[in-house]
Amino acid sequence: MRVLKEGWIAGALRKTLSLNIRWNPADLKSKPGRYSLKRTMKTLCAVSAVLLATILPAQEPPAGGRGGRGGPALREFLGLGPPPDAEAAERGARLYSPNCGFCHGEKANGASGPDLVRSPLVLHDEKGELIVPLLREGRPDKGMPAFAAMTPAQLSDIVQFLHMRVELTANRGTYKTLNIVTGDAKKGEQFFNGAGGCVGCHSPAGDLARIATRYPPDQLQNRFLWPGGGRGAPRKVKVSLSSGETVSGAITRIDDFTIELNDASGAHRSFDRGDGVKVEVEDRLTAHRALLDKYSDADIHNLTAYLVTLK
Amino acid sequence: MRMREILFLLPFLAPAQGLDPKALRLFQPPADTWPTYNGDYSGRRYSTLAQIDASNVRSLSLAWTYRIAGIGPQRGVGNPVIKSTPLLVNGILYFTIPNHVFAVDARKGRLLWQYDWQDQGGHLVGQRGVGMYGNWLYFLGPDGWFISLDAPTGKERWRKKVADEKLQYFTTMAPIVVKNHVIVGVGGDAMDVRGYLEARDPETGDLQWRWWSEPEKPGDPGADTWPNKAAMDHGGGMTWMPGTYDPDLNLLYWGTGNANPVYAGQSRKGANLWTASIVALNPDTGKLAWWFQASPHDTHDWDNVETPVLLDSVIDGRPRKLLAQAARCGYFFVLDRTNGKNLLSKGFVGVNWSKGLDAKGQPIPDPAKEPKVDGSLINIPAGGGTNWPPPSYSPDTGLFYVNAARGYSIAYLTDTDEQPEGYGGRGGGLITEAVLEALDVRTGNIAWSHAYPSGAFGTSFAGILTTAGKLLFTGDPSQNLIAFDPASGAILWHYRLAQNVSNGPSAYMLDGRQYLIVGAGDTLYAFARPGAE
Repeated sequence: MRVLKEGWIAGALRKTLSLNIRWNPADLKSKPGRYSLKRTMKTLCAVSAVLLATILPAQEPPAGGRGGRGGPALREFLGLGPPPDAEAAERGARLYSPNCGFCHGEKANGASGPDLVRSPLVLHDEKGELIVPLLREGRPDKGMPAFAAMTPAQLSDIVQFLHMRVELTANRGTYKTLNIVTGDAKKGEQFFNGAGGCVGCHSPAGDLARIATRYPPDQLQNRFLWPGGGRGAPRKVKVSLSSGETVSGAITRIDDFTIELNDASGAHRSFDRGDGVKVEVEDRLTAHRALLDKYSDADIHNLTAYLVTLK
Repeated sequence: MRMREILFLLPFLAPAQGLDPKALRLFQPPADTWPTYNGDYSGRRYSTLAQIDASNVRSLSLAWTYRIAGIGPQRGVGNPVIKSTPLLVNGILYFTIPNHVFAVDARKGRLLWQYDWQDQGGHLVGQRGVGMYGNWLYFLGPDGWFISLDAPTGKERWRKKVADEKLQYFTTMAPIVVKNHVIVGVGGDAMDVRGYLEARDPETGDLQWRWWSEPEKPGDPGADTWPNKAAMDHGGGMTWMPGTYDPDLNLLYWGTGNANPVYAGQSRKGANLWTASIVALNPDTGKLAWWFQASPHDTHDWDNVETPVLLDSVIDGRPRKLLAQAARCGYFFVLDRTNGKNLLSKGFVGVNWSKGLDAKGQPIPDPAKEPKVDGSLINIPAGGGTNWPPPSYSPDTGLFYVNAARGYSIAYLTDTDEQPEGYGGRGGGLITEAVLEALDVRTGNIAWSHAYPSGAFGTSFAGILTTAGKLLFTGDPSQNLIAFDPASGAILWHYRLAQNVSNGPSAYMLDGRQYLIVGAGDTLYAFARPGAE
């Protein structure tokens, strides 16, 4: 293995390897070949559809959910090619760091040398066919050394490391929430018992006992902010018919025209919302909804800091 | 009269017998033609047809359906969803889903031809439709291919590469034909690429001009809103929805998407022009005439690509040429479209991300509400106050109609690096409530609104059509196609479909019969009054 040799000129390399986003369309071939991802797509489509609710792309409105989940499905959606090999990427990281990290940054997002994560060459590479020759030969005229002494396996591991960096950047389904426990637990407890009014329905020794062992902090925070998910929790309804009969149960569907529910016996009932039909929805999340209009961000973070102590 | 007009025009049509260029107007498309994504250049989505009206809408019934068959789930998005608005030309409807174009008889719903593209990547998130010039259609494959088809046969004429899907660009737009320019925009948020808009030659597909969403280099106008060239080169500002056009002013109006990296703004301090903006461009040169930034230094993924609707109105006794937009960032903007001067900026949903307005009427972002590691509570759902589904403006009521989303999200920063990349965070969805709002263009006040009892829209939601029949058509989150009274918000009629309305409804007249057409999931539905002639 060779380390960087003298005469390294990062600026010169930047011109060739780095991002010339103003690419020339004429450089691209004019006939598409068979889509190499296709073979893996079909089997994953069904999974993708199910997971879509939580990982909707930026163009679309969220269908509730917490976002940021479902990495493999989102990878398919993004058309990112074959998934990187995690073990090879880890081996590659150990090679990358001493050999490449000094110039290209430990995360490959650039330092004195160019950013490799957003590099068109890396993004066009599927399994080393573009990256490996470049590593083998280097770019002596630009000051990049050749890594000719590396074995094919080592070069391949570096390729996988770079593809993993792309994965962890482009695929937002892989993003991890950082440490969100930044608040003041004491103040959170005061909010719980005071201004927040949480104590009216919840008890740290009762329903919330050991709550912090059941959910990681980020899920805990999202759950107290809105326990129902994007579409709201199951709601109960009382329907009063013009005949005087009343039917109560759990809503299975509601719109401006019909109400459907499962009654106490579990039977499905459906009614038109015509004249004389009164529909009263009992929403147990009213207090949570009202709090959303009141919270400061500090209230939220303090409450989270308090709830994570309930172990 | 009409025949004579067509004969007179024949030598000027290229080629003959296709779409008459005169069908492309600022306001009021011909009754028997829907020649461009929004019907006309204004984006009002107001039909002058009145055979179906408030007095007879209850007799509206299904004329035909066309269900897409044999395609199955699409990569990463599931079953086909029609988000395109069909063009209607010479009795044929042309509509799309990702990778596929369909030509269907507008009277009977019979398939005439189907064009299938095999993508090599890109996102199949949506496909908004085709553009048309004479007998030629224009379609974008999701992987950056700009494709021209022969309209009578569906045969491919040529294809041109307009975006590199390997860099995470993708292409979903309905091309817009303006004079002898085919306008094409791009999408792509995942790898911090740079937005652009192109004009292409209708005959050859060759590039005529390209406008970049960021300044080219330090020192150029707008470059002082970026810290350095690298930030500009990776600044985002995608152009993925069709814009509008004023032939009299010869200005093209376009919305640009969010800045990149999406949620992590620390490496791009400044307003980041011209991301999250409305820009006015000369369609012959691509030169910028004016701009208005809806979400300066955006860190909430608020693409400002919602239709910049062109409307004429009298304000304080003066006739004005206006542009109105209900923006994803939660503000309703009304501008003078001759020069971009702001008349009105007002939240139509919560706007706690903003501290107020600057001298230009642009929102001032609140740094305290930028995404944080431990979360910032935003009183707009993660997908924005509205999204791409087309709104409508009715000159009869002076109201602008938008399917809005009220609710909350929590914005997290997940990349704290000095040089973050990609999204760098996320807008975690909490609660989303779907509500149809009618906004007064003079005041920005909500004249009426209708909250749907079922709550949020799902993976798709509906656009809006208003008509001279004093009707507003749209879909709810519960598979209903609904006709509202646009003046009062009263529900006049509804029809339960198999899936949610997923495109912008449109209308046309054939053989003396008015049709209403709407896409819902994998099916196109045509409604008409029984026996109406």
